[in-house]
Amino acid sequence: MKNYEKPSINKVDFAMASKYGSPLKSQKIRKEIDGVSVHELTQKYGSPVFVFSQRKIEEAYHKLHDAFSSRYTNVQFGWSYKTNYLNGICQIFHNLGSCAEVVSEFEYQKARNLGIEGKDIIFNGPYKPYKHLKIAAQEGAKIHIDHLFELNDLEKIAVELDMTIPVAIRINMDTGIYPQWSRFGFNYENGDAYSAVKRLIDGGKLKLTGIHAHIGTFMLDANAYKLATQKIMYLKASVEADFGCDIDYIDLGGGFASKSYLKGIYQSPEVVVPTVDDYANAITSAIYENNKSEKLPLLIMETGRHLIDEAGFLLTSVAGYKRFPDGKKGYIMDAGVNLLYTSTWYNFVIELDKHYEGLNEPSMLNGPLCMNIDIIEENISLPSLDRGSVLTISPVGAYNNTQAMQFIRYRPATVLIDKDSNVHILKEADNLDAVNYGEKLPSYLLD
Amino acid sequence: MLKSTVKIFLRAYSSLLFLDSVYVGAILVALTFLNYSVAISGIVAIISAMLFAHLVNVKDEYLLKGFYVYNSLLAGMGVGYLFTPTPLSLLFVMILSIFTFLLSFMFNRVMGAYGIPTLSLPFAVVTIFSYLASLKYSTLFSSLINKAMIFDIDMPLIISSLFKAFGTIFFLPNNIAGIVILLILLFHSRIMFLVSITGFYFGVTIHSLLIGSFAQALNDVYAFNYIITAIALCGVFLLPTFRNFIITLIAIIITVILSDAMSIFFNYYAITVFTIPFNLTVTSFIFMLYLVGYKGFNYYPLQTPEASLSNYLSNIYRFASNKIKISLPFSGTWNVYQGFDGTWTHKGAWKFAYDFVIKKDGKTFDNDGHYLEDYYCYGESILAPVNGYIVACKHDLLDNQIGTVDKVNNWGNYIIIKTDYGLFVEISHIMQYSITVNVGDYIQLNSIIAKCGNSGYSPQPHIHIQVQKFAVLGSQTLEFCFSEFIKDNKIIFNNLPLLNEDIKSMIINPAFAEKLSFALDEVYIYDVYKDNTLISKYKIVVKMNDFGEFYFEDEMKNKLYFHTSINQFYYYKYIGTKSYLKNMYQISPKIPLSTTKVTYGDYLSDDLVQSNYKKLFAQILATINQNFYMKKYNYILDNNMIKSNFGIAEFDLYKKGFKEITFNNITLRIQIEK
Repeated sequence: MKNYEKPSINKVDFAMASKYGSPLKSQKIRKEIDGVSVHELTQKYGSPVFVFSQRKIEEAYHKLHDAFSSRYTNVQFGWSYKTNYLNGICQIFHNLGSCAEVVSEFEYQKARNLGIEGKDIIFNGPYKPYKHLKIAAQEGAKIHIDHLFELNDLEKIAVELDMTIPVAIRINMDTGIYPQWSRFGFNYENGDAYSAVKRLIDGGKLKLTGIHAHIGTFMLDANAYKLATQKIMYLKASVEADFGCDIDYIDLGGGFASKSYLKGIYQSPEVVVPTVDDYANAITSAIYENNKSEKLPLLIMETGRHLIDEAGFLLTSVAGYKRFPDGKKGYIMDAGVNLLYTSTWYNFVIELDKHYEGLNEPSMLNGPLCMNIDIIEENISLPSLDRGSVLTISPVGAYNNTQAMQFIRYRPATVLIDKDSNVHILKEADNLDAVNYGEKLPSYLLD
Repeated sequence: MLKSTVKIFLRAYSSLLFLDSVYVGAILVALTFLNYSVAISGIVAIISAMLFAHLVNVKDEYLLKGFYVYNSLLAGMGVGYLFTPTPLSLLFVMILSIFTFLLSFMFNRVMGAYGIPTLSLPFAVVTIFSYLASLKYSTLFSSLINKAMIFDIDMPLIISSLFKAFGTIFFLPNNIAGIVILLILLFHSRIMFLVSITGFYFGVTIHSLLIGSFAQALNDVYAFNYIITAIALCGVFLLPTFRNFIITLIAIIITVILSDAMSIFFNYYAITVFTIPFNLTVTSFIFMLYLVGYKGFNYYPLQTPEASLSNYLSNIYRFASNKIKISLPFSGTWNVYQGFDGTWTHKGAWKFAYDFVIKKDGKTFDNDGHYLEDYYCYGESILAPVNGYIVACKHDLLDNQIGTVDKVNNWGNYIIIKTDYGLFVEISHIMQYSITVNVGDYIQLNSIIAKCGNSGYSPQPHIHIQVQKFAVLGSQTLEFCFSEFIKDNKIIFNNLPLLNEDIKSMIINPAFAEKLSFALDEVYIYDVYKDNTLISKYKIVVKMNDFGEFYFEDEMKNKLYFHTSINQFYYYKYIGTKSYLKNMYQISPKIPLSTTKVTYGDYLSDDLVQSNYKKLFAQILATINQNFYMKKYNYILDNNMIKSNFGIAEFDLYKKGFKEITFNNITLRIQIEK
């Protein structure tokens, strides 16, 4: 028996392939993730639920690492905590050989808490409170200086601790990419970077061991990395020649694109996103071409999104639907922008839990928030879904989890599927205690 | 000047035995004095040929090769064998020698165009003329047929005939001469020694069966033709293998028949057959075998058949020099979707092609595979499989949606690369507008040239690769192999992956390649530790010979030849006695320029591994079973280190060369620069 639905008129698309794909096979279906049924996951862990695939994480890691290590002997990956700092996820990356890349004392503590030694932590970011900077220096972390105030702080710490602190500086440069990320570190072109090194050497309390740059995010042009590497290598050569520095490592940051559909780009990511070979080749060849010292530096990569994005899924269920005045069908889902921070920039891949009969019709996926902006997908061609249909939204592994808001609704559980298709909880769903944690209700209000 | 003259002079003698040694030449010169007439005529002949060469400004390089003068030498000895030296007869010798020299040059140029050697044909022709002419000049010469030997020893016919046949090569039908020549052969090459003796007795046996008298067959003056036929075919122009031995025996039977046939005709005019049966037989064999590209042909003859065979085997076993080789056109792990002579499209003229896809859990796609994006290999980088020029490409065809194929543009978007070796590599079904190179660009192995797509006659995204003879799209394919691929962490060299096999490509690591790029005159000094006690220093220098070959040389002048190709560093030749360089050869005969942790095998010839006397047996065994000779050894490349049963070679992370080499209880440690 089928529920009655008010009739509506829709244009039938006969084109072989439109931006919705081929009309002949127009339903994207995902019944399971790594052998675990999506229904089983929502039933057991609630809906919505974030799901991570360990297999996909490891595949992505090995693929990228192989691309670099096969071309360059001395490569180290640093797991970018901010991309996803669930302990389980960080631990997977550490097990794979990544060190930790943190941008705040909180992330630093998280890494230390996971047993990562100071020397295996890269401490980045524009704001590093004095107290925590000192701890990091004491524990031998790789500190990347962002501005001169920090340099002063570090010199003071060096005196206090009576030690020479090995540091790296972060630089920014023009790589032909817009927007140019010029707010972090010292600029290369205007000579700030060189002056900062000179200042650092003149101070005599710090030792420059590395140069770091992070040129942007979701970089669709591998050549930008070639330029960035070139400039780092130029700076390295000049400071080594002028000040006798011995630069052990260069750090190219992250920013590699994942296979996400960037809004405003018509082609699929397979077409526009550079491959790991493109990135690896751009960076390593630039090192070889511009190396002027006897030894090749250690190459650090802080790739985040590229390694985790496609390993993360958000399962969400249809709570209800209605017909909008313009004929579009509107679905009310149990997950919305509160969990999908990146929906501002990316169109997600939305997959159905099974094949649905009937023609596709223009639809809209709305979240559960009582906010007009809570839209997951404004225009999507879907067959008629049922209440309780489970949709898989991907790729959502990067940033969504760390930036998911506890706004209006509790944050959902996050689970990990291991390589043998066993499901493990990474994080329980929030409850009232979790949300109320730390809150104080002034007693006079109760009087 | 004098040195090279002496060299040319002596080499002419040794080249009559297909050897290239001044010492052998000297012994042979001395030997000819068993009949001073032969000796003097020979010397006069060779000197006059050289003087004439000087007169007409023939460069020494021509003469040094030996084959322009040895015919003159033979012609001279031939006359000396006939006539006692008098001023007039010597003048005769001089003129004949010059004529022989001219003929040698001419024959060499004409026959050389077909890859056939002149052998002793000029000598045979000239001597026939001289013998014919001398019939008229009988008044000029005091005595005919000068066979007087200074002395000889008596031996039973069965063995004496052998020795005399050997001696006859130098117009010295004499037991002592034969014994000396056989000893020279034995010393230089056991293979030559054995085939010449077997060749002789085989020829004699066949001859005796035909004529009905064994004694007569043994006494036949032309029996020496069997010997030189045997050496020429089974020792010099063909590789010394069992198959070639059979071919040689056939050639010897032909020589027997030719000798008999010709002697009847020639004797009528009182001339001798000389080496004509040998020349005719060997030339006819070489002419055909060379032109049909016979596999057992010795294309690079070295000093001895042993050396030629060893070199040939190591080229085949170690470097597959008989095959066309390309690298894989991708990075990472891919799966063979269709191989040579495939089920679907690799047929007929296009049967030598490979298709690759990426497979996970037995599937090439995620979910149901209804969308191009579901396919794992869609959008992956295509890497240059060779160094070469882009000669053609097409990039504007749409990638087919799954379920449709382009039946008009079968090849889809494609790239054709002209390799450094003049062949063409074609890659098909490339993603629309993904080609990053232009026609005319020179691309390096492993550089990124395009993305994998689904254009053309392609039911699912994949990379199609083939080698063609011509640059035209769709031209006939050529059989090739992949110079290396990694399967289960093991590098397989010069082979083809099987259908549905997961294989990983080997990417060249430039940093590693840099570590093994040794430049001329670089010096490496090692501290030698025995059981951890410093015992000596070991110095090796990088040098280059006249042929542009690089080698390491130690202070004892041992030489270890090495080469760095685009994808590996390897040693290929060792000249010298027992030394650390020889150990180095065994420890790392081949080093793939990759930093992936892998194991791999390499073949070492037995003479490199065995002691001296075992080596002699190994060389002879090699003629029968090559697997006895080329043995496979396993190596592990891990973290800047190569490990094997022979020892360990370690590299420095930053510096050039080998940091430490360990074998048995010896350790060579590079000296730290001060």
